[in-house]
Amino acid sequence: MPGMEAHFRAFSLVDRITRLEAGGRVEGRYHVPEHLAAFPASLVAEAVGQLAAWAAMAVLAFRRRPVAGLAAGIDLLAPVRPGQTLELAAELESLDEEAVAYSGVALVNARPVVRLEHCVGPVLPVEDFDDPAALRQRLALLQADGARPGGFDGVPAPDLTGWDGEAGRVRRAMLHVPTEAVFFADHFPRRPVYPGTLLMHANLEVAAALTRELPRPVGGQGWTARRVSDVKLRAFTPPGEVLELQAAVEKLDAQAADTLVETRKGTRVISRARVRFVPEAGA
Amino acid sequence: MSNADITKEEILAVFPKVAATMADALGCDVEKVKLDSSLIDDLGAESIDFLDIVFRLERAFKVKIPRGKIVEEARGDLSESEFDQGGVVSAAGFERLKAYLNEVPAERFKSPLKVADIPRLFTVETFCKMVIRQQRAAAAAAGGGAAPA
Repeated sequence: MPGMEAHFRAFSLVDRITRLEAGGRVEGRYHVPEHLAAFPASLVAEAVGQLAAWAAMAVLAFRRRPVAGLAAGIDLLAPVRPGQTLELAAELESLDEEAVAYSGVALVNARPVVRLEHCVGPVLPVEDFDDPAALRQRLALLQADGARPGGFDGVPAPDLTGWDGEAGRVRRAMLHVPTEAVFFADHFPRRPVYPGTLLMHANLEVAAALTRELPRPVGGQGWTARRVSDVKLRAFTPPGEVLELQAAVEKLDAQAADTLVETRKGTRVISRARVRFVPEAGA
Repeated sequence: MSNADITKEEILAVFPKVAATMADALGCDVEKVKLDSSLIDDLGAESIDFLDIVFRLERAFKVKIPRGKIVEEARGDLSESEFDQGGVVSAAGFERLKAYLNEVPAERFKSPLKVADIPRLFTVETFCKMVIRQQRAAAAAAGGGAAPA
């Protein structure tokens, strides 16, 4: 089915579902295409979130689907390279007609690379976002033979301009959400929305730029993002939106640089999270 | 379970932790969170913030707070169709809601009231009472007395 293939190739990061307990545990895998230049941690988190979303939609009979909302913590444990296979698992902690709560993990060669702790997604009518029949059919495929790996072509780097701020204290940039992008075909066909994980990626870029202005940590080459916590997405971002991203240092010592990242549209806070950076190994 | 038998002392006992939890969730100073603050009108809460607050309160107080519980409990023995028609709270439902949310100043109740707008009425005290009711329910289920704040 060519239309369906294009739909899910655009931004679907689960190739196969190997275990699906109603309202409980779900396991699957995703092979990161070799031809990609990179596969950032935000996309690994997206893969775990998508796995949990499949489990939630199955229980809710494709009447409702979760969208990104809250995450108590996301541990960024190791980088993932194109060509590697993610073993994905999620545990639904609760699920009803309003929200799903879950935790999850992505592993490479049995080693955790990203761990999601207590994520909560509001649950909304599927029909507002996608074709329920297409989703149902896709889940059947994922549970049977699995999708053909390698279709995903990656996402464009965040378009950040207008950098300003105070060196080593606060850094700001404008994010230009693309008007058109391949991933909107899947996220979502009936209501294109900039994925929360891509917004998180852009926020991490701004925070990383800030940490490059910080004193070099003892025993480290620089700072690397280790944990994103207290994540909250308060609004959908449509294509073509221009958002102000800001990262500010909250606390700095020899072991960690704690930053607060925020996204604003005018005076409204669209998202907020804390990002902990730790010394990068390999000095 | 009624709100009427919840004492001011019980409310004040849980308030500091509720206020701190809300301040964390809403990214505001804890001093801004007053017992009679409206979550939406005074503290700028949006729908995702309600989810956030409920989950944070669950963890802070180690209770389970079923979502939609406030409206469900306010409805009492009224059926859904008696409580609202076409998404608008009925006269009987309106009176039931005013009695249940007795911490909300009367002038904030505007008729006709849409069910979707009920959260606009919620104050910080509303959530304090919700926590207390769930603590009592948990204590009753465990066969013990009232749980500490």
